[in-house]
Amino acid sequence: MSNIAGKAYAMNVITPMRWYMVWANRLIFHVAVRFPSTLKGLITLSLIHYARWTIIPRDKFPHLSPNQPKEDLKYSYMLFHTNFNGSWDQYVDSFTFAIPSGLDLFWKFNIRYPKSVPLTPFHDYIRYNQIDTDHYYSAYPMASSNDVKAGKKVRETVIAFNQTIHDATPEEFQKNYFKMLRELQNDLGDMRPSPVVSMAAKAVKERALASQSVTNSQVKKEKQTAESVPA
Amino acid sequence: MANTSGKAYALNVLSPIKQSGENDRGYVEQVRTSIQNLGLHEQSPFANIPQTYLARLFILDDVVYESLPGADRIFNFSEILSIFSDKQRRAALPHQEHLKSKYLVFVSNFHGELDDYLEGMWLQEQTFIKTVWQHCVAFDQVNDLISFKEYIYKCQLDTTLFFNGSTDDSLQEQLKGLYVKQELANFAMENQGKSAEQLQQAYQQFISRVQLENLDGPSWKPAQSSLAVEGEAI
Repeated sequence: MSNIAGKAYAMNVITPMRWYMVWANRLIFHVAVRFPSTLKGLITLSLIHYARWTIIPRDKFPHLSPNQPKEDLKYSYMLFHTNFNGSWDQYVDSFTFAIPSGLDLFWKFNIRYPKSVPLTPFHDYIRYNQIDTDHYYSAYPMASSNDVKAGKKVRETVIAFNQTIHDATPEEFQKNYFKMLRELQNDLGDMRPSPVVSMAAKAVKERALASQSVTNSQVKKEKQTAESVPA
Repeated sequence: MANTSGKAYALNVLSPIKQSGENDRGYVEQVRTSIQNLGLHEQSPFANIPQTYLARLFILDDVVYESLPGADRIFNFSEILSIFSDKQRRAALPHQEHLKSKYLVFVSNFHGELDDYLEGMWLQEQTFIKTVWQHCVAFDQVNDLISFKEYIYKCQLDTTLFFNGSTDDSLQEQLKGLYVKQELANFAMENQGKSAEQLQQAYQQFISRVQLENLDGPSWKPAQSSLAVEGEAI
């Protein structure tokens, strides 16, 4: 299990829904895509890199060979994948407090969805339906989603600033340089590995070592057995 | 279908894993072990796959049974009748069901077109692909780029709603932005209190070192997890 890659957490949640309500859920998502202002609450939260909802109709699980048994399901399923910064509790709670109605709308037709308020049944629901990730990768483990957005802003601002200082005197340069820093003061936070980066790395290393040691002891045991058998 | 948000792409792949196993180990267990033992950060195969922002692998063993009574939003006639008979009470509970196959789930967020991404994936990490997917149904028919793409298309599930809370720039641009942000913060701290002339001179050196427009030049590496190589060129 490796739900964490640096500052990002990978959450997978699978929830059943009545097959005949899939169209209604699709309609809600379609409206959200057409009118991005409906996702304003998610943008305000500002702790998500990327998130997605995928509805799998009950007869659409991939079937690749006649030898593979075909799924026979009564429910369709909704998969939710998100990449966020911070802890599990912070994320789930911020959803509840910031966008309860939007959240309830997205999961409205899912079986036994308890609504996002009160908090405890909602926590239980997410925890119960969550599937752990086995391998998780982030291209920038030291950065949050806000860092990536800030990086874009900083680079663009510095490029634009450089166009204005070609013939500037040192005093003019200094004045404009300070102005630029004031504009960027909220985007210049230092980035370093969080303690979680090393904890997650340590856990994966220990698991790999444990798995290697089990394999080695199995090989040793098999070797001993083979040697003890008379020729 | 909303697989894209600007130039960012949300890929979902569900690959059924073959039943049974070999060498006394089930295929599912073998796939799980192989993905759990992949390296972290810079050692992950995804670090070599161009344009990958974030990616994950896990196994969908089964669907989840919602056993809790009540809280349904849709009117259920059986729930009213359940107070009169045990049969109706049972009928009011959610249906319990199970998957017949277990699935390897591959989820990726990347920049650009799916075709280009799969091509980069196949060209850069063929060994990883073959190791991880070898026990999946119909993967034995994958032997080149074309058959790999066809296989992924068959296993792909379209995203219903994709939310992009970050940017849709290329990975090189994102990493360069992070590098410049970090370097500028350091520069601002190190050059406090200098005279206007000294500051201008130091800034010119800083700009020629960080090479703002050069995405192949000094930058963060994909999945860089420490500052040990800070400022070094890729």
